[in-house]
Amino acid sequence: MSKVDTGQAKPVIRNSIPVTEGREHRPLSVGTGRASAHHGELLQGVFEDGEGRLHRGLITLPLSSQESTVTFWPREERGIRTRPENRTKAARAAELTLGHLGLSAKGGELTIESAILIGHGYGSSTADVTATIRAVAASAGTILCQSTVGRLAVAAEGASDAIAYQDQAILFAHREGRPIEHFGGEFPPLVVVGFRGADDQPVDTLAMRRARYDSEEIETFRTLRGLACHSVRLQDPKLLGRVATVSACISQRHLPKADFDTVLALSQWFGACGVQVAHSGTLIGILLDANAPKAISRAGEIAKTAMDAGFADVQVFSLNAEGALLQ
Amino acid sequence: MMQNGDYLRAFETPRFARLAPNLNAACFSLMKLMPARFMVDRAEATGRLAPGGHIVETTSGTFGLAIAMLAAARGYDLTLVTASSLIDAKLTRRLQQLGAKVVAIADPKGDGNQPGRLEHLHQMLSQQADIYWPRQYDSPENRLAYARLADLIVRSFGRIDCLVGCVGTGGSLCGTGGFLRELFPELRIVAVDTHRSILFGQPVGRRMLRGLGNSVLPENVRHDMIDEVHWVGALPAYAKSHELFRTQGVFMGPTSGAAALVADWFARKNPDAATIAIMPDDGHRHADTVYNEDWLATLEDWPLGLPLEPTQIHQIRPAPETAWTRFSWNRRTLQAVLRDQ
Repeated sequence: MSKVDTGQAKPVIRNSIPVTEGREHRPLSVGTGRASAHHGELLQGVFEDGEGRLHRGLITLPLSSQESTVTFWPREERGIRTRPENRTKAARAAELTLGHLGLSAKGGELTIESAILIGHGYGSSTADVTATIRAVAASAGTILCQSTVGRLAVAAEGASDAIAYQDQAILFAHREGRPIEHFGGEFPPLVVVGFRGADDQPVDTLAMRRARYDSEEIETFRTLRGLACHSVRLQDPKLLGRVATVSACISQRHLPKADFDTVLALSQWFGACGVQVAHSGTLIGILLDANAPKAISRAGEIAKTAMDAGFADVQVFSLNAEGALLQ
Repeated sequence: MMQNGDYLRAFETPRFARLAPNLNAACFSLMKLMPARFMVDRAEATGRLAPGGHIVETTSGTFGLAIAMLAAARGYDLTLVTASSLIDAKLTRRLQQLGAKVVAIADPKGDGNQPGRLEHLHQMLSQQADIYWPRQYDSPENRLAYARLADLIVRSFGRIDCLVGCVGTGGSLCGTGGFLRELFPELRIVAVDTHRSILFGQPVGRRMLRGLGNSVLPENVRHDMIDEVHWVGALPAYAKSHELFRTQGVFMGPTSGAAALVADWFARKNPDAATIAIMPDDGHRHADTVYNEDWLATLEDWPLGLPLEPTQIHQIRPAPETAWTRFSWNRRTLQAVLRDQ
């Protein structure tokens, strides 16, 4: 089951057949791609595949209000330059995408415009990489499957998140670039109050020591995955909140966040669905049922409490919920 | 996740039966396959069990059948150590057809002679270093195996408020309950035992209901997880099994009947509580006894009207096979409960 990537311009249609391969020799045009940030994970751990083998995997919490926009200016000679300079992962993503499209002889320049903070778990690097893949594909007048975008992103940066899948709820093997399980739909309607500890230092994702989970944790991930599946199928934000909270508590044993207990208490005090974290970052989020009465005003109260308590970058955003996007 | 073509993995997977609006039962054909498969998988992965290796276990019940099926399918030698008093001719025949060696230790007292069985097993272990002993009574892997059941339950039903299950080794109830309580901290765990089983503080004696309770105390029984204990006698368990078959078409063994009796009562008393019962095996092994009117006619006190509720007790003590008693355990240790008796 592969979905067409929709994070770019409409595909070129000729003779009613979408052109999905750009191998024909026609000039590349300037292409633009976008990709959104995320707010850490709803679940991260180790999961079994259909053959009984274990894979590291995660469920990404998308944050669509922040995004990276990349423009690809094609050239006839090889080599990728980036603005700002030295964005090597994005450059690598552009090369890989050209290679995937049979255009290895081409090159070009990438302009990366992103307001996403680096190193706190917003997925700034994956957003740049994903937007780059989309920009290069757009330049070739091509659409790619979400799975192809996800796979190229991991190839470009070693580990990635599932942002290529946008709001599709998916358990993603972030070091291999492929889905472990499609939960078969969108996330339940959520309002999230996100922030980070004021004193927490940025985390270098790739340099971070990988969490070593014990058997009890690995078996707990199995049940969390089952509950996540149920919560997506029945669009139940409360149960997804439980998944995120238990996963965050396990993360606390591996990459502790100083204010975690405070946030957990805050979530309980306000009757929220639960707490999620960036498992390789400093972000913490409190999850609310977007369809519950007064969800927005409660989110506002939580945001104010969080600001008063000294948390940084406090923001309110929604996922699969109607209404204005709040900042 | 289901692995295509893995018959035994499919066979370990329960079917769910809705017994009441707020009560679902996980109906297993052979529940012990779940821990047996998990333990053999882990032993293979960690090198404790080499290809063509030898497995040994002390069991007289369905764990032996499960491990024998796995040993046959995966090419291992298997020795099962049981007691002469516990030999079930039909089961032994099946075990032997699966290639297992069944060793019956003399049992003059008729109490299962667990010390004698363990002595024999340790002797084997000392003679052959690379022999693999799963230790279903005490290995934490027995409990870990039931994350798979917890996964199946929450995938199907989401939030769970109460789990009811039989206790023999403690693996299924304490394993499943532990994982479910991690997700739902308020989960109530209700243990089903039978009279004259040692597990929850009764003196050991002859038990009529096979496959439930124990005469030794396995480490996998985690008393401080348990909210309440029910002791169900053989006759109400038989009667409930009959009712399950007659009214639902669900053909289960008598220990499953005991779990259904308790779960049904709990679900009636707590109509808002999403309740799950674990039912460990199907009725076929009991076709000549529990489901045979001639055999039942030989029992004193049969037929028995289905009791509607348990007798609440405050002093733990054995009761006749017609009785069903209940005790508020309140997540205490065995020591703490016995101290207050």
